[in-house]
Amino acid sequence: MAASKTQRPVLRIIGRSELVTQPTRDRTAADLGFPIHFELIDSIDGLARVVTRPDTFDVYHQWHTVDLIWTARCIQPIDIARLDHGQEILAAARGRTGPSRIIDTVFNKLFVQPDGRLGPLPSQRLSMLPLLHGVDSFGYLPGLRDLVGDEPESWGWLLDPRLQGRVAMISDPVLGMIEAALSVEATRGRAFSSIGNLTLEEVDEVADILLHKKRIGHFKGMWSSFEDSARLAQRGALIQSIFSPGIARLRSLGQEVIVGTPAEGSRGWHADLCISSEATGEVLEMAYAYLNWWQNGWAGASAARQGYYATFPARVRQHLLPGEWEYWYEGQPAPQALADPYGQQNIPAGHRREGGSHAERMSGARVWNTFMDEHTHIVHRWREFLAA
Amino acid sequence: MPLLPSRGSPTNPYRTFGRKGWVGLQKAYFDIVQEWVKDSIAEGLLPEGTRLTVAAVADRLDLSRSPVKRGLELLTNAGHLTRDERTGYIVGNGTKAAPHAANLFTLPLPDLAPATGALARTGWERLMDEVAEATAACIPFGIYTISESGIGAHFGVSRTVTREVLSRLHERGAIGKDRASHWIAGPLSARMLDEEHALRRLLEPAALAAAAPIIQDELPAMQARLAAARPNCPPEDIDIIEADLHDTCTSFQPNRRLAAVLMHLRSGRRVNRLFAAHVVQHDESALLTEHRLVLDHLALGNGEGAAAAMRHHLDADHARTRERLKVLSVFEDPVVAPYLTRVG
Repeated sequence: MAASKTQRPVLRIIGRSELVTQPTRDRTAADLGFPIHFELIDSIDGLARVVTRPDTFDVYHQWHTVDLIWTARCIQPIDIARLDHGQEILAAARGRTGPSRIIDTVFNKLFVQPDGRLGPLPSQRLSMLPLLHGVDSFGYLPGLRDLVGDEPESWGWLLDPRLQGRVAMISDPVLGMIEAALSVEATRGRAFSSIGNLTLEEVDEVADILLHKKRIGHFKGMWSSFEDSARLAQRGALIQSIFSPGIARLRSLGQEVIVGTPAEGSRGWHADLCISSEATGEVLEMAYAYLNWWQNGWAGASAARQGYYATFPARVRQHLLPGEWEYWYEGQPAPQALADPYGQQNIPAGHRREGGSHAERMSGARVWNTFMDEHTHIVHRWREFLAA
Repeated sequence: MPLLPSRGSPTNPYRTFGRKGWVGLQKAYFDIVQEWVKDSIAEGLLPEGTRLTVAAVADRLDLSRSPVKRGLELLTNAGHLTRDERTGYIVGNGTKAAPHAANLFTLPLPDLAPATGALARTGWERLMDEVAEATAACIPFGIYTISESGIGAHFGVSRTVTREVLSRLHERGAIGKDRASHWIAGPLSARMLDEEHALRRLLEPAALAAAAPIIQDELPAMQARLAAARPNCPPEDIDIIEADLHDTCTSFQPNRRLAAVLMHLRSGRRVNRLFAAHVVQHDESALLTEHRLVLDHLALGNGEGAAAAMRHHLDADHARTRERLKVLSVFEDPVVAPYLTRVG
């Protein structure tokens, strides 16, 4: 009887596989000392459950869904006073200095406003704890240059007829549609009114082009996790939209791969922590402990080794070697060989990160991951594309 | 993964729409006949000995004779009526009272049916309302095909009736056909919400201003309902409050064509209703405040003020509805009418 009374609850966390990597999961469990259950979901398929069943999770690693899950009230406001470094967030939001200048979008939906909606005006209640951000583009193998010569890197390559059969794309409709729209802009020489919020006609235009390209065998494949994308490169995809953990994986496997810095700009993203609206009592304490653990810098340092930036990098730096900081954040040549989050060396000495420093790379963010207004239509046309 | 219905939500949300009292199609005509006769007997409107003929009842209820005959037969079997070979049916079980005739047109029609004969509508019209509501309630989630045979099986109607209904909905623009000539509906796009909002913004404040002088008697009851409502009250309470403002208030203005147009501008309300049915926690405090503002202006007899407050409410509600549509768009497998199949 006593045993059942003292049994501790389990903290249930939902996240993507590349956000909560095995080393991070192991370290969290060791540091926090209470039972944690991680559920890894790499697609948007689990979102309906997050929205309708907040009783089935305690912490959610959100990724371009914060306005949606806030609308559904499946997350609760985070009390700044309960965060170890809450004042730092307030200061950054007020000043918009340092990295907060180049990731404005993180702060635009961060604070609960007096009317209960989300906005940029600083308050004591947060929709999420900002953690990580970055820019994504495409990665390509050196062999691509044999086909396109030395022309500048462009999203247009994803639809380039010279690369027929050698292109792979992400299967997620939210991100895939943004990347496809960037490609269509580059190849068709036209500009969409708002690339992060396409109209019905613009979605149709992009989808029609993708369908045609798929039917004539333009695509090598589609991927939904970074492991899949690394496999596609090994199987002959010369170019693909790719996440930085996919790049890290390929390099760890000894595959030389180049990260594109396209003239048209990159796709920005941020990933953050949210607490379920149903978390209370001891579980809520554990949730805050998990949030504070992420603020201590260790996890941000691990994430940096696969190319992610921390929204508050000062404590992350303490967990990085000076050479790691110089390479990942400052864009300087690696002074020695550097390791990935799993401890395997994958960056050779002298290698320089494509796109430059943190500030330089983030300033290339042309569009941020987002659920567009016509999301239902996008999903419909995207399914048609996947099924073609 | 099937959508897990949230606690306390209806498992079948599409059924919460379009119930027009007993006229709904889940009830067969012969049931309508039975209920009407039983209710009239219970209320003393059809005393023992009253003679009922199939023709007279069919005439009063504007139904064809066969369902009336079946309804009266069932009432006879249940002991409410006595079959009289010569004259038809007599109220009472083997009654000794002297049979007498009654003018059935002096009897009220059943609940909610307007005095001018809602029952005069033909079978496909009633079916159309039901199918229109069911499709309108599914399209915020995505694209659906509509099965002709499924409708036939669900409602027990012929292929001819089903086709008539779907053709009319097609003409109205509510459904379409895909390249393979299957009936399809949806998705409800953000643009459609924008367009509807633009129309409502033009029409509803004007309708309200026109109604303001003649609505005073209704206001105290509406204000009382509003005052009693809590921000997290059940969706059914919000339905009533929304109907008070957007249906009842505007129905007092005299322009019937305007009223008919407004009746078809309800996608936004459907989205809000589906959202409330599926999402665990909702907070309608903003809506309640906005409604209060409109009713307060009306109570002061200030039509222009009410119109301005209505515009504010419509704008704010539109912003909420757009956000909610996005939430609905991530649902994988919502419960919809059995003759609808999701394709996108």
